[in-house]
Amino acid sequence: MFRFNDVNLLKINQLKKRYPSNDALVLPCLWMIQYQEGYIPLEAIDTMSELIKVPPMEIYRVASFYTMFHLEPQEKLVVDVCKTLSCKLCGSDAILKHLQSNDKIRLRHVECLGSCGTAPVMQVKDIYYENLTLQKVDSILEELL
Amino acid sequence: MIELSVNNKTYHAQEGSLLIDLLIKENIHIPYFCYHEALGADGNCRMCMVSIQGQKRPQIACDTIVKEGMVVDTQNESIKKIRTDILELELINHPVDCPICDQAGECSLQDFYMEYGLHNSQVSIEEKVKHAKKIDLGSDVMLDQERCVLCARCTRFTEKITKTHELGIIGRGDEAKVSTFPGRKLDNPYAMNVVDLCPVGALTSKDFRFSQRVWFLQTSDSVCHGCAKGCSIYVDHNKLKYKDDVIYRFRPRRNDAVNGFFMCDEGRLSYKDLQENRQERTVLNSQDIDEEKAIENVKNLIQTHKTSIAVIIDANLYTEEIEAIVSFSNSIGANVYSPLSVYIDEGFEDDMLKSSNRAANFKSIENLGIDTSFPKAERLFINFNHPHNFSAESQVNFLTHKRNNSGLTFPLASFVESAGTLMNEDGIEQRCEKILFKNNAVPTVLEYLKRIES
Amino acid sequence: MRDCRLVSQKFEIENSYTLEVAKAHGGYKSLEKLDQLSPKQCVEIIKESGLRGKGGGGASAGDKWSLMPQDSTKPSFLVVNCDESEPGTFKDRQIISKDPHLLIEGILLTSYAIQAKHAYIYIRGEYKQFQDILQNAIDEAYDAGLLQNCDITIHRGAGAYICGEKSALLESMEGKRGHPRLKPKQKECEWYFGNPTLVNNVETIASVPYIIENGAQAYRRFGTDESPGTMLFAMSGHIEKPGVYESEFGVSMLEYIHHFGGGIKNGKKLKAVIPGGASTDVLTADEVAKATLDYETLRNMGSALGTGGMIVMDEDVSMVEALKNLLEFYHEESCGQCTPCREGTGWSDKLVEKLLRKEATKDDINKLLEVADTMNGKTICVFAPAVSTVIQSFVKKFRDEFEMKL
Repeated sequence: MFRFNDVNLLKINQLKKRYPSNDALVLPCLWMIQYQEGYIPLEAIDTMSELIKVPPMEIYRVASFYTMFHLEPQEKLVVDVCKTLSCKLCGSDAILKHLQSNDKIRLRHVECLGSCGTAPVMQVKDIYYENLTLQKVDSILEELL
Repeated sequence: MIELSVNNKTYHAQEGSLLIDLLIKENIHIPYFCYHEALGADGNCRMCMVSIQGQKRPQIACDTIVKEGMVVDTQNESIKKIRTDILELELINHPVDCPICDQAGECSLQDFYMEYGLHNSQVSIEEKVKHAKKIDLGSDVMLDQERCVLCARCTRFTEKITKTHELGIIGRGDEAKVSTFPGRKLDNPYAMNVVDLCPVGALTSKDFRFSQRVWFLQTSDSVCHGCAKGCSIYVDHNKLKYKDDVIYRFRPRRNDAVNGFFMCDEGRLSYKDLQENRQERTVLNSQDIDEEKAIENVKNLIQTHKTSIAVIIDANLYTEEIEAIVSFSNSIGANVYSPLSVYIDEGFEDDMLKSSNRAANFKSIENLGIDTSFPKAERLFINFNHPHNFSAESQVNFLTHKRNNSGLTFPLASFVESAGTLMNEDGIEQRCEKILFKNNAVPTVLEYLKRIES
Repeated sequence: MRDCRLVSQKFEIENSYTLEVAKAHGGYKSLEKLDQLSPKQCVEIIKESGLRGKGGGGASAGDKWSLMPQDSTKPSFLVVNCDESEPGTFKDRQIISKDPHLLIEGILLTSYAIQAKHAYIYIRGEYKQFQDILQNAIDEAYDAGLLQNCDITIHRGAGAYICGEKSALLESMEGKRGHPRLKPKQKECEWYFGNPTLVNNVETIASVPYIIENGAQAYRRFGTDESPGTMLFAMSGHIEKPGVYESEFGVSMLEYIHHFGGGIKNGKKLKAVIPGGASTDVLTADEVAKATLDYETLRNMGSALGTGGMIVMDEDVSMVEALKNLLEFYHEESCGQCTPCREGTGWSDKLVEKLLRKEATKDDINKLLEVADTMNGKTICVFAPAVSTVIQSFVKKFRDEFEMKL
């Protein structure tokens, strides 16, 4: 049975006062679940639905819309490498090719991370790793894994 | 009322109403998928675009409020090209399932293609977006995600009409598809209406699936007899060669005074009941008996028990049939009853269409002042299809369906095999014509009465 | 190139994101002006200054502010759009991580002007590490008693470019999918749960303190008549010193590229520049030579200033591959609500892929242009017209490269 931890329950109560309607809590609650569990389990959606009074299907629709929400448990480290134009012009293709065969990670080709000035870029968990080279990528992953 | 012009003709419309409503009402044909009068506009299909004078870009009719002096053109070359182009985009990922798709013949996509499209497919089968094709959503609804045009009618139905929120669009872009919450089913008493709402063959009735091509079906108007709401329906039936006239499905018929656009699933599937377990022969204590002889028996029984006869009437019969029975009963000095409590099912009622009174025409029983309590004991009971099983010294039954009972039993025509009017619980009267012409037709109430009285 | 740091003046100062340092360098000074200005006067000043929205649209901020009711019975809201996801754009993140207090100052001024009591900052999900800096700054502001008249709440997105479209952003904030709304027939404010709402880009709000403190005319001293003031332009791609550099409007694009960017990387020749973030018409090297960084010139050239994020491409770039890269972006990010965009982005992506595999015919190129045309002006929002403009500009200006792939 999923339940929000106490810190999150407190946060939810505080957030309820900051919005004209509890519907707005869908995104914040989904983030809380993902940080608590590493992904968004379906039963957590039911718990959330009870708390903010939004039907489960409405929450599921929203969760499936966004790139950053994982609806399945993630066994491997998720590595998001930006593939959009500026990064491509600065060599992201080589990095993507290099990481393709790395089966210790789950490599995702993501769109513009807003770090074009320090391309190529990748994001792991919440941190940006910028100005990448193949060596840098290897040493960063070595540390993280 | 305000005045505006469409395609160089003048029309009048209610102030504040939508342009698309006017176009639909006046039969000015424009294509659309996502608009529905009961669900409102969503503006996502982009097919209903029209040219409005003074507006640089074409506007969608479903989001345009009529204005005095508006000049609308739905047929100019640029609008036609836009329709064709948008339709082509709608079709590129749509699987060419027509040969196996139930919706063929009543499919908006097919109709619009024949009228505005006629393109050749330019995206190969390998490149088309693929999804699941045979999802049983529950409640007899099958979902084919590939055929879906994402008009969102079904999801808006479960959001706004039934408020049960089972369906939604998940994913993004061209991977978007309709789904239920994983592991959960479509489960509400009006679920099958989404099959009617779906403009293409994405949502189909599991009950009707693969059973008949719609262009063979004959569509007749009638009224559902499932409860006192009396939803207007279409009866789709067909008489195949060497076979009998068979009903394939009921669909709701629009009636703004009674049921709007929808009907409940139980009523929708009640057509099966009309074709199963029917009383087909005249029997006496379960033994076949010749009909002429049986009629003679009835006349004798009436003579014998003439001071102690109860006539019981099913509140689902037509008003004319009920009146004729009352008249007949008076002529033979019988007491007339139509026990009401048998029809009441509090659990069936809801705040949409379903009524707790399962008798379609009890209002007429009420209006005619017929006794709705249980009959006291009499020696002869003549039962015109009332659902309760009575016991008396002598019994004569006129039944549509087989029952375990004794006495003389005649087979009775069902409401689609007979004609008449009925009045629903709100006092609205509707007329039904005879629809089904069975190979071995059984007599109606009026036909029986004529024979007995002669 | 004049030095005009109206928004970025604190960026290089150490710990500029703390309240202490911000205040030491003039932070929150403009709030004093509010003692002499009514909300309506503030709106007038912004109108007079000609401040234009910096999120890509370039519409007059003052006009937008005027759409907000001055005396509504419903609460008004301010929503700051920090969903920066336009490829080539990375300026708002500089503001929130290097001078968040400037943004907070701008929020306080704006909410005073539109009489809002609550401001939300919608920040893209990927910007978590910058969001933390911003949240710290907000906490500092709360502790210092600066937020007594206006609450600020950060609302985190979760990875959807379309949520940068203002009506999709509000849908997302209402707990729904980020589907842009149908546009009203006459100009009106935005609505958040049915309450009047103003949505403005981070940089737009961050420009307000300078204008309120120094006046509309001071702002107009920079830039051109039609594009007054400054903007945080950016350069990325094949440039020696990519980054965000504030400049006034009207400067020559080539000069900007050389002055701040150090010219093309590795001394190569310039081939093309996408001037304002991916959703603007690409400019050939000849056009770049004639371009100046302002709204009117670029519009007259058939392109747009957009977010001012220049993507610089050198002579070795295959324009077909570049187009494919951008179409993949649009294909991924389309919300899927309306037909032309949902299907059009997918199909145009597949058509260019076919071209790259050398399996396309001339008809396919024409089809690509036709699809682009269908996506233009017939959808709910401007996402599809952006795709249309990208496809058409690439194919028309570099037709020979496309035909070589046949």
